[in-house]
Amino acid sequence: MNEPLTIAMPKGRIFEEAYELLIQANFDLPETIDLSRKLMLEVPSENIRFILAKPMDVPTYVEHGVADIGIAGKDTLLEQQRHVHELLDLKISTCHIASAGLPNTVLDEIAPRIATKYPNIASAYYRERGEQVEIIGLNGSIELAPMIGLADRIVDIVSTGQTLKENGLVEYEYITNVSSRLVANPASYRMKNERIIDLVKRLKACVK
Amino acid sequence: MSMIRPFEKPLGMRDTLPGIFEKKEWIRQVGREFFSLRGFDFIKTPTLEYYETVGRFSAILESNLFKLVDSQGNTLVLRPDMTTPIARIASTKLLKEKVPQRLAYFSNVFRAQELEGGKPAEFEQMGIEVIGDDSIYADTEVILTTIDLMKRLGIESFKITIGHAGILEAIIRKNVQTEEQFTELHQLLVNRNYVGFEEAVDCFVLTTEQASTLKSFIEEATSLTNMRQISKYLYEKEALIYMEQLASILEIAGVQEYVAFDFTIASHMNYYTGMMFEVFAANTGYPIGNGGRYNGLLENFGADMSAVGFALRIDYLLEAMPKIEDEKESVLILFVSTQLAQALEQTQQLREQGYRTTMQSLEGIENFAQYEKQFTKVVRVGQGGTSYE
Repeated sequence: MNEPLTIAMPKGRIFEEAYELLIQANFDLPETIDLSRKLMLEVPSENIRFILAKPMDVPTYVEHGVADIGIAGKDTLLEQQRHVHELLDLKISTCHIASAGLPNTVLDEIAPRIATKYPNIASAYYRERGEQVEIIGLNGSIELAPMIGLADRIVDIVSTGQTLKENGLVEYEYITNVSSRLVANPASYRMKNERIIDLVKRLKACVK
Repeated sequence: MSMIRPFEKPLGMRDTLPGIFEKKEWIRQVGREFFSLRGFDFIKTPTLEYYETVGRFSAILESNLFKLVDSQGNTLVLRPDMTTPIARIASTKLLKEKVPQRLAYFSNVFRAQELEGGKPAEFEQMGIEVIGDDSIYADTEVILTTIDLMKRLGIESFKITIGHAGILEAIIRKNVQTEEQFTELHQLLVNRNYVGFEEAVDCFVLTTEQASTLKSFIEEATSLTNMRQISKYLYEKEALIYMEQLASILEIAGVQEYVAFDFTIASHMNYYTGMMFEVFAANTGYPIGNGGRYNGLLENFGADMSAVGFALRIDYLLEAMPKIEDEKESVLILFVSTQLAQALEQTQQLREQGYRTTMQSLEGIENFAQYEKQFTKVVRVGQGGTSYE
């Protein structure tokens, strides 16, 4: 049952939370690790290899099978619609996706414009509500868009609401909640089934 | 769109260069002999079919079909799978000659272009269909054939996961209130989104019993140790008894190590009605193939007959297969024009002995030292006689 397992982990804050969760689930991992500039981490005692990826890229590694499992945000999963199995909600890095804009404004009647780094989520949401909108793709500092008149609304991740507030924006609609999920490659899920199911069970017991 | 450069191909289209061609051809030959020996007849169907028939009845989503229009204004599709054209030809012709039919194919199929790499829009499949035999032995034959073929191709580490479309449908349907809830839960299982499944169950209006039944079913069915565990979720036990029988037949055949049962398997191929399975192997992250029983499909073409089959993808098989070392000797006959007769004779002899022999005149190439390197043996036929190297 101890075949090697490759786990794609998001770099940064989520890594630490997820790594902590694995330690709680009794995986024999080194307590402190030096991650500066490293992209791979071997843990021979557990026969696990971690690959450290940009959070948005985790589902890509898993879909193509270069990682057996991975930890990915629900926002990324919704946006990219990749062929991975979603096995467990780890309930870490929780936040939500919402639309926001300047206070007391309505959508432009002719061509409502939405700025977002989640074009698929935003367009699906407005279609579902029966509104045709124009999506403007941005990569960061989304809050700028309504302030300088690029868009009527933004669709983005909100965790505390502090950033919105500081930029004079208010939340309009709650779109969906987001947390980190354990995902698996379909072939790995079958070929390393026992190991993956065991990992899911152990993590499940630690998830609050 | 930017200007198309000379080297570019349409999105998702791939060339088959000599190295890959040889490997695919090897699979084709092995498959040809393998299926023939098992009494399967090979057939081929047209690349284009009517959208009204094959396009509509195939389980491939409409948005994934390649469509075009013929000169009479009919909508055509590039065949999206082989099962549907075979259902057409079996229903309307072959089944009138004999029943059951055992048919095999090796063919390319087309699915709409996807923007990202790793997802070709045209790929080859190899598969079989057993049509007109509704017994459990037809199901068994298809599963065993899959297993033997994988072994014959030298793949050691693979798994066939078997589920049942009817059992899953019965369990979900009994525990939801509306058709929309059923469709949503089924789709979540097609995507293997267990988290979403639980979330959906929580937010649907269901009785407490229904909600807890669905959740415990998913939990148990994904780590099944004994098929009997599923029994408590079913009123009608017929299908489960069938699956138990199938499991014991597979045990008699001695293939348990390759099979696993998972009753949460749901397929985007919505024509499956009974037993269905997926094939996975080590070294490739994609499902190599799938199969199952589809008892409703032939009715669309006017024959009320049962059928079961499977298809494997050649590109993923290549990833899973051990590397075939090409040990074949290749000989170069390098001749000067005056010695043509002698060179022809030598070449013919070598070819009759089964050597792959290339004839090349010295006048036709510039750097012959470089050219010679790709051959295992070089014969120079010059004015001074013949020299071997």
